[in-house]
Amino acid sequence: MRLIHPSRRAVLQMGAAALFAPAIARSASAQGLSGTVRIWTFLSAEGTSPREVVLRELIQGFTAANPGVQVLVEPQPFQELETKFVAASAQGRAPDLIWMRDTFLSLVHARGALANLDDELSDSFRAEVLPDLYQVFANKSVFDGFRTSLPLWPSPAQVIFYRKDVLGEVGLDAPPGNWDAFVPVAGQLTKGDRLGFGLPSNDNSVSSFVNIMTGFGPGIFDAATGRFDVTGPEAVAAAEVVRQLVANGALSRTLLNAMGDDIQDQFAAGRFAMAQAFAPRFQQYRNIAAAYDPAQLSVAPWPAFGDRPPAALLGPYWTVGLSARSENRAAAVAFLETLYTPAASLQWSRVAGLVPDRRSVQSDAFYASPQAEVIRIFAGLLDSPGALTFPQNLPDITRVFPVMNIALQELIGTDEAIGAILGRARASLGW
Amino acid sequence: MTASGQQMTVDPAQSLRSAARRTRAVGTALVGPALVFVLAINVMPAFYGFYLSLRRVFFFGDEGFVGLQNYTALLSDPLAWEAIGRSLVFSFGALAVAVPLALLSAMGIRRLGRWGMVLLTVVLVPWAMSPIVVALLWKWILVPSPGGLMGSLFSALGYPPRDLLTDPVLAMPTLIAIAVWRNFAFATIILAGGLGQIPNDLYRAASVDGLHAWESFRRITLPLLMPSLLIVVSMLTISYFNEVQVIIGLTAGGPIRSTTTLAYQLYHTGFVELDQGRGNAIAIVMFLINMLLIAIYIRILGRQPGGAT
Repeated sequence: MRLIHPSRRAVLQMGAAALFAPAIARSASAQGLSGTVRIWTFLSAEGTSPREVVLRELIQGFTAANPGVQVLVEPQPFQELETKFVAASAQGRAPDLIWMRDTFLSLVHARGALANLDDELSDSFRAEVLPDLYQVFANKSVFDGFRTSLPLWPSPAQVIFYRKDVLGEVGLDAPPGNWDAFVPVAGQLTKGDRLGFGLPSNDNSVSSFVNIMTGFGPGIFDAATGRFDVTGPEAVAAAEVVRQLVANGALSRTLLNAMGDDIQDQFAAGRFAMAQAFAPRFQQYRNIAAAYDPAQLSVAPWPAFGDRPPAALLGPYWTVGLSARSENRAAAVAFLETLYTPAASLQWSRVAGLVPDRRSVQSDAFYASPQAEVIRIFAGLLDSPGALTFPQNLPDITRVFPVMNIALQELIGTDEAIGAILGRARASLGW
Repeated sequence: MTASGQQMTVDPAQSLRSAARRTRAVGTALVGPALVFVLAINVMPAFYGFYLSLRRVFFFGDEGFVGLQNYTALLSDPLAWEAIGRSLVFSFGALAVAVPLALLSAMGIRRLGRWGMVLLTVVLVPWAMSPIVVALLWKWILVPSPGGLMGSLFSALGYPPRDLLTDPVLAMPTLIAIAVWRNFAFATIILAGGLGQIPNDLYRAASVDGLHAWESFRRITLPLLMPSLLIVVSMLTISYFNEVQVIIGLTAGGPIRSTTTLAYQLYHTGFVELDQGRGNAIAIVMFLINMLLIAIYIRILGRQPGGAT
């Protein structure tokens, strides 16, 4: 028998086929998705918080279904996400997907850093998922027909966490829904080392003062400019509430530097009966409760003024956008869409206690169970008559919260006239 | 030098000039790369910062030339002048504590022999820590509610816990104390070295002349320590005037702006308000103030007996 010796060209061709065939087969089975999807978020893929657990599971599921794709989560400090993203975008090293706060959307969009998702999302997603989201959040991401992002984890954002056991001491099941009744109750709940109410007064991502003002409803924001009247009657009324809370001991005159994390830690240590908190952190509050039974933790909307319904400020909240400079849009958008499947929405709820992004999922039996009690409360607030969002173009967003926090500190820590404090805040903003 | 065919004679002066040129060339070649590096990371960014300070730059978007508008807005803002005042209070308050403390430590290190090394190690530990770690450490020590070390100590002694960081009057002195604790070790090392340069014979002679310890310190130690003191005071002034990490970590400029120094104002303007143009203007103003303070030190301390000038 004569041996056939293959030519050099044939040997090379056979080697390439052996090397790339499996990858091609995988690629074919994954509808062509490959490469790396970089994500900037404040979550870590290795973290243990409920939201991080769910994110990790979603990534594992996505990469199992798309083995040619690597999803890389690069955690960033949450206060720096938008600024770092814009800077990175200008330098050509932006991630594919970016978590952003809704209050910064207009700024990021103005820098041309985001892709129009309406051009990228699949037909099925646009037909089935978009209408199923909470429209109050979904619509806010659209600027003149340009869909900048998708809202994630719909929630009433800034709410009041309270301890049912402590409220029970004064014969109440929940905090009063009106400031006239809330203020004296908060004073009664101050006992020993415990304060009736905890407010973050130095957290640049929120403004407790604005939260109090929302008790007058969405009309506090000017429809044309997005501003609110810093020295108007609503602001004065909010300032008077603060002074009353200080006077009856519910607010400490010395707690002037507290950030959201400080309030969270001190609430866990039993220092507050009620506190302003970020709703998606409910599970976290329960997990770290050290001075009380976690089952006693519950949530309430902000009180209102007069006979208005209790206020639920729907923001700042998180949205997810696609970089205009993403070089792997197909895989990035595919992963983005997996965050909004019915299974994912159910997972965010079950594990992290969040309101599902998909409204239709709420027909699942889980949402009628005792474990979903707080989710039902959150969902109810989203649909409540007192629900309101920040204007789409809230001006001077980088300065409003710090300036109003200074005003809040002055209201709490000094006896200076309200008019002078609010006038100085208005002058600082230049409004 | 004569023409060929005859033995050439070398002009000594020209030979020296050639040798000097070669020496300069070698020196330039050796120093050049480092100089380029320093220019690239220090000087050029400073010029770029000045360029940005003349423009409206917000949220990383350059919106055009505005001339001195950032400076006039800054200097016409009463809050900026308050911040400058707080910076000076912070700097000189910290100096007033750090320099004597460092001098005492340096003298102790030199006199305690082997135990002096132990003292030096203890003093160096805070200096080796990252400023943010220092801030977080002290934040937990000073928490008044259950869990804070200071609060627990106060309670054990029968006193109500006091929140030093949220008291507008006490927050600044607390920050000064923490800043001094963090980096007076640097001054200790410099002064210890300076003390080592003073000949012991002078102290023996002083003893023979009947001078007691305080007079020896005043007439021998202090004058001869002036060069080291100048270095220490200059470096610490720059350090304290520019201190921001401890403030960010502990008080975020509060309560009620009571710890908002110019350095913190720079951070807040540039990284929170995202007004990079005005932030760079603050940086330029800080640079000028730093230079002015250093010039004053050189003039005052440099002219003392034993000083550098």
